[in-house]
Amino acid sequence: MTNFVQLILNLLIFPGGLFAVALGLFLMGIDRKIAARLQRRVGPPVYQPFIDLVKLTRKEMVVPGTAHLQAFWLAPLLGFAGMMAAVTLIPIAGVYQGFKYSGDLLVLLYLLALPAIALMIGGSASSSPFGAVGFSREMVMMMSYELPLLVVLVTIALKVGLATGGIATFSLSEIVQFQLENGALLFDYTMLPALLAFLVFIPGNMGVVPFDIPEAETEIVEGPILEYSGTGLALFKLMTSLKMIVVLGLAIALFFPTPLGKNFLVNLLWFFLKCLVLMVIAITIVRTSTGRVRMDQAFKFYLRYPTVLALISLVLTLLQR
Amino acid sequence: MSTYTIPVGPLHVALEEPMYFRVQVEGETVVGLDITAGYVHRGMESLVMQRNIYQNITLTERLCSLCSNNHPCTYCMALEKIAGIEVPERAQYLRVIADEIKRIASNLFNAGILAHIIGFDSLFMHVMEIREIVQDTKETIYGNRMDLAVNCIGGVRYDLSDEKIKYIRKQIDRLKKPLEEIIDIYMNNKFVRARTEGVGVLPKEEAVRYGVVGPVARGSGIDYDVRVKSPYAAYDKIKVNVHVENGSDVRARAIVRLREIQEAVNIIELCLKELPDGPTCIDHLPEIPAGEAIAKSEAPRGELIYYLRTNGSDKPERLKWRVPTYMNWEALNVMMPGNKVADIPLIITSIDPCISCTER
Repeated sequence: MTNFVQLILNLLIFPGGLFAVALGLFLMGIDRKIAARLQRRVGPPVYQPFIDLVKLTRKEMVVPGTAHLQAFWLAPLLGFAGMMAAVTLIPIAGVYQGFKYSGDLLVLLYLLALPAIALMIGGSASSSPFGAVGFSREMVMMMSYELPLLVVLVTIALKVGLATGGIATFSLSEIVQFQLENGALLFDYTMLPALLAFLVFIPGNMGVVPFDIPEAETEIVEGPILEYSGTGLALFKLMTSLKMIVVLGLAIALFFPTPLGKNFLVNLLWFFLKCLVLMVIAITIVRTSTGRVRMDQAFKFYLRYPTVLALISLVLTLLQR
Repeated sequence: MSTYTIPVGPLHVALEEPMYFRVQVEGETVVGLDITAGYVHRGMESLVMQRNIYQNITLTERLCSLCSNNHPCTYCMALEKIAGIEVPERAQYLRVIADEIKRIASNLFNAGILAHIIGFDSLFMHVMEIREIVQDTKETIYGNRMDLAVNCIGGVRYDLSDEKIKYIRKQIDRLKKPLEEIIDIYMNNKFVRARTEGVGVLPKEEAVRYGVVGPVARGSGIDYDVRVKSPYAAYDKIKVNVHVENGSDVRARAIVRLREIQEAVNIIELCLKELPDGPTCIDHLPEIPAGEAIAKSEAPRGELIYYLRTNGSDKPERLKWRVPTYMNWEALNVMMPGNKVADIPLIITSIDPCISCTER
């Protein structure tokens, strides 16, 4: 019974639920502020995402007359719920263990696909032509960034699995445990290409410039989420901020989970710092220094560079054995 | 693959003004285009005939925001032709200065919007920051950031003191270095190039067939500029280097606009150097006899033509103008097909459409 209560608490309060939402929104606020300073603007206050969220939840949600009602409602809920579940799978070294379940990395991989699928469902259910274009773009985008991600995950699973005597381990907690004992993978030269591939995967998955193609504001007016307002839009925003925590947290768990000490709060702060640095590198700087690429260009890019980088790591790992 | 229609407009984030494009799309490729106009029709052609000749100077200035100086300037030129008024030389130079300052602001604005549309918001902010120098200059010299209210019949309504000349020189100098930088970015930045090169191609033959004007024509290799072909104001005394690009695509048009900014900077410097002494305006309110005249000028978007007929009364009998966008937007039918949906707003922006003066 305590296990069950613990699970619910993990899901709703910490590290999922309230905590993750607050952290995600806060990180987004910082991201906006830094981006603004980089563009020599003043920028909104750091708490702006919270204000936006409260404002959106108090607004009416308008459903287009031609939309498929159930699917239109289902999409944001699906995306949000999927990300809520995903956050609980992310271990924070020295703070939170994650699930001691041998396949949580695979579950996470599937859960990570949910936001894109939710956007696709929402886009096509909204019956707007922009939503339809957004649908197809989201799908192509997903296909392009999922492959390098998969190769990176397999590489790390193999690396840890081979080192611990098995073949491959798809357990995040084991991967973290391995790194706590043998040093972070960040400092392993064979993993550097994989790390680079993962860094390139982050802006694609987060849908920021230059890979915000499915939601390109000036091209297809936000695409799938064009018709969303009020609560639906708020859920999508929450989904994005949670996704940020999941993606950044996953990167930290995979490459640099090392805690700072034994103190719970210090470790939590350390995790936040790592998230912040990673976000600035992989999201804020990238999105302020580039322009949006076209779908075909993005697809070619992802098949070419990150996939090759990830494969190099895979080969190096296998050779090292 | 099935064909479907994407509505771009009448209100669309990427369009500055209301304009309705129904774009037929196959997959992600544009196959056809249907332009619907008339969302900002204000009946101005009728309005000018109900107001007197002097009031119309103010009215024509409010036709459009970005090329607001060219309209009253061309209108005054048409009136001066009918009445046979000789504009003082100093006024002609001052008209050129006002014209070129507006050109810099307009072209920088378009360059900024291009960056915004390809999602390069940092570049957009940077360009707008540079444009602010020009806006400050306008505000200081003319008292306004958009409508300069420079022209009157037989001259201009402002004069430049030595102090003001020094100020403009200083501001123009401040423009030069950042201009070099952004031209380098627009020409060489990978992301800008990837999105603008080979997009929205308008071959030279088609450009001639559609009779496009301004930077759109010059981006397609047509060496046509009213300032050179039929000089007005002081342009006959000033050498204007017309920049022509042969790329025929969005990039070529953007580069033509940016190079024109550099040229405008040179022209202003030259004008300030050679500014003759004398009156800035004729010393009486002229009588306008019955007659008709055509006047042309080079607006930031291309050739602007005014036709004016008067009947000796204080109201014009007919005033008709042909604006550059009217010639350019039909060419979208050639530029669009074959491009991706992602490029639609980009191509529309590349002709720098000014809907409010086209639909007046």
